[in-house]
Amino acid sequence: MRLKKLAIVAFSLSSLFATSVFAQEESATARQIIDKFQTELVQVMKDGKKLGYVGRYDKLEPAVSNSHDLPKIARIVVGKEWEKLTEEQQKKLTDVFSKLSIASYAHNFKDFSGEAFAIDSEEETKMGGVVIHSHLNVPDDKPVKFDYMLKEKGASWRIINIIANGVSDLALKRSEYTAILQREGFDTLIAKINEKIDNYAKQ
Amino acid sequence: MNRKTVTTVICGVLFAVNVNAQVKSNDPYESFNRTMYDFNDGVDTYVASPLANGYRFVTPQFVQTGVFNFFNNLKGINVVLNDVLQAKFSQSAADLGRFTLNSTAGLGGFIDVAKHVGLDQNDEDFDQTLAVWGVPQGSYLVLPFVGPNTVRGAPASAFDAAANPASYASIVAYYVSAPVQFVSAVNARSNAEGALKFINEAAMDKYVFTRESFLQWRKNLEDDGKVSASIDDDLFADEKTVNLKSRDYGKQFEIAALSFGSVAQKFDLAIQNFEQANHKIEQLKNR
Repeated sequence: MRLKKLAIVAFSLSSLFATSVFAQEESATARQIIDKFQTELVQVMKDGKKLGYVGRYDKLEPAVSNSHDLPKIARIVVGKEWEKLTEEQQKKLTDVFSKLSIASYAHNFKDFSGEAFAIDSEEETKMGGVVIHSHLNVPDDKPVKFDYMLKEKGASWRIINIIANGVSDLALKRSEYTAILQREGFDTLIAKINEKIDNYAKQ
Repeated sequence: MNRKTVTTVICGVLFAVNVNAQVKSNDPYESFNRTMYDFNDGVDTYVASPLANGYRFVTPQFVQTGVFNFFNNLKGINVVLNDVLQAKFSQSAADLGRFTLNSTAGLGGFIDVAKHVGLDQNDEDFDQTLAVWGVPQGSYLVLPFVGPNTVRGAPASAFDAAANPASYASIVAYYVSAPVQFVSAVNARSNAEGALKFINEAAMDKYVFTRESFLQWRKNLEDDGKVSASIDDDLFADEKTVNLKSRDYGKQFEIAALSFGSVAQKFDLAIQNFEQANHKIEQLKNR
């Protein structure tokens, strides 16, 4: 039972990220960013089978890039280890992490069976961010809660964390990434990320 | 030194050791836990997974759902009991209605009738009750065959088992007990297939992934699904994060040791003994 519930949470967490190289600095509220991203995600799910993995990846790359602050997320997931990395390593990590994030979306949001997002409310954090509380209605199952944490970036807002049914993706990744960095080093971390990207593309 | 002084000193040393361990992280028994995790993984690969696959192969989906509903409904008694212990009286009335409806119109629980009349299932257990009573979560524990748990959750599970009628099938007939528990376990493993597949796909470090998602999920249940806007504020404080968390854990353990007292300490001691035994086995292997 616990594992089953863990699965729902874990599956929900498969949402995240992309490169912000092409990020558009257009003005938008946090709520608008989430609304647009969820709409694009559901559309990709609807066309999922037709698009295939590569098609979904290509569609999701700009969608995720324009809604997530991936360089910032990549920095936070390695915590204070970030400062110990060289500039080249930091760039490498940001690059592969962004690819993994889009690949994860493309792999997990591959089909559609009537799911629909709904925004419930929004809330300001003490640290100057905004949390958008929303949920995903899943036919014949309990809704999955999605709480998006956003920070201001330029004139707009960007997602920096997704909390699915109470499980913080950022905290989860930070525990994993710092553990691997400290125990096995930078090269192993990059190799493991690349392995995950390859596996997502194969399945 | 008299016996009382010796006991005080031992308790003091134990407490100091555990506080230091706790300050390091919420997983001071990581070495032991990883060993147990690998053991469970092996059991799952070679025993539970083949059994669950076989069960799914020979059992129609509606029977699988019925079996799940049956055991899930029996758990409803625990939910009602823990609702009351947490002073959630209106929720306890709804959960009692749910249990009664499924036990009667739902043919002994095999059909989840209550879901279709809008009586959603609440998830309450004694671990959450202890949380409401102010007992901190304590260290992460991986138990053989059982899986992820905590110092607080492990004894709480024993309470829940004692309150679950499925545990007393042997009173009805001795030879019924084992098959009932066996079917329950195989069905639970069968339902977990999706979770395990996801963990295999997404996790970079399966142990850490399981630990973090389990602890966060349990915390969310304690908070009845409410997500605070400041849930992860400390993650953005960069360098301050580690110190803040460490102080927090140290304080938590201090409160835990005081309020949970001997139970938590006995568990910690038992685990240390396990670790020492494991270490000795490793030494013997290396000889």
